[in-house]
Amino acid sequence: MPSIGFVVKPERTVSKLNDILSEFEGLDERERFELLAEFSRKLPELPERYKAERDAGLHRVPECRTPVFLWIDLADGRVDLHAYVAPEAPTVVGFVAILLEAFQGATPDQVEAAPNDLLERLGIARRLGMTRLPGLNAVLQRVKSQVRKARIEVAGSK
Amino acid sequence: MAEYAHPEMLVSTEWVDENRAKTDKIRIVESDEDILLYETGHVPEAVKLDWVSDLQDSVVRDYVGRRRFEELCEERGISNDTTVVFYGDKNNWWACYAFWVFKLFGHPNCLVMNGGRKKWEAEKRPMARAVPQYPRGHYKAREPDLSIRAFRDEVLAHMKTRKPLVDVRSPGEYSGELFHMPEYPQEGALRAGHIPGAVNVPWSRAVNEDGTFKSRADLEKLYLQEQRLKANDEVIAYCRIGERSSHTWFVLTYLLGFHRVKNYDGSWTEWGNLVGVPIEKSFAAKK
Repeated sequence: MPSIGFVVKPERTVSKLNDILSEFEGLDERERFELLAEFSRKLPELPERYKAERDAGLHRVPECRTPVFLWIDLADGRVDLHAYVAPEAPTVVGFVAILLEAFQGATPDQVEAAPNDLLERLGIARRLGMTRLPGLNAVLQRVKSQVRKARIEVAGSK
Repeated sequence: MAEYAHPEMLVSTEWVDENRAKTDKIRIVESDEDILLYETGHVPEAVKLDWVSDLQDSVVRDYVGRRRFEELCEERGISNDTTVVFYGDKNNWWACYAFWVFKLFGHPNCLVMNGGRKKWEAEKRPMARAVPQYPRGHYKAREPDLSIRAFRDEVLAHMKTRKPLVDVRSPGEYSGELFHMPEYPQEGALRAGHIPGAVNVPWSRAVNEDGTFKSRADLEKLYLQEQRLKANDEVIAYCRIGERSSHTWFVLTYLLGFHRVKNYDGSWTEWGNLVGVPIEKSFAAKK
């Protein structure tokens, strides 16, 4: 098992994400998946205003075989993140719920500082296996790249 | 379902509902893409089998060995004479995959629940979250039945003699187009396209909206008339890692009565990485 005890430098604290990581730390594998299942029951419902775009197939993360849709904006320098995930894929729902809880209201720097091997650090990568990992990793990368893009757009409009 | 070549390999959701309590003779096995789906609720008597952590060896790219297979059957109360009924998400992809692995190890009585999890849920049949426990089974697996599994050298020879190959991936994967789309998954292969001579019949064309298999007439139209395959052809089916193609293997073998179909589980993640093998690409990238 890779160590999941991860502390980022204080000036780049990803505090909510670190809280989540420490929740996973110290659990055995069965408990970690139970916690992931708990997260999957907490994904906020997609706001009404995004549903038409979802139904039109916009904002989908193409790398993930499960339908995952993300809306990412910056409002007053803070990340505003919304998501929809097909309910028949609770593993993906759970991971996206973790991302939402960690990044909603975070600064772009905090999102950028999130570890790219988050699934390993959560201790759920091994059971997922090589064939399921890339899709979930892509969701994290998609959040990061969209936040970067939004930041450039905001900078450009000033 | 009676119209199929081997209708005895399929059972309806209704049949499962009526027979699920006979746990001394029948074991219902759920096999899903999603690792947590079973835990959210399942056919009350069903046990879980994961295609990664249960069926695949974690070091060598291969299935688990005979001993491990025997062990995982016994843990779930499956003996050689148990009738195993498979079902799962994604229109029974993984159910067919697990079914195929059980056939590989020579399990005699395997069935697929037509319509899978989707139909069972849509019909609001009983679901439970409690994991059932069964008395340990007694299992002796056979040597792998290689008449249903193709390896790369065999696929190369098959291709050279122009025998039929069915690529069951999406048209974009088959043509190689997806490889050139930015931000699209590259599926773990260094080259894109398909095995020369392979026809493209996406696996999903064999299922109805409700998750059940299409009628025999529709399937015959698809494979026999459109693709001109014949029931006595030697056919190799492949996809990316052999999961979707085990679904097509099931359709050709049991629903249409083909008797010489193999699944190439190495599939594109092997072929698209092999040095020097021929590849056909029907998509031309803009220069």
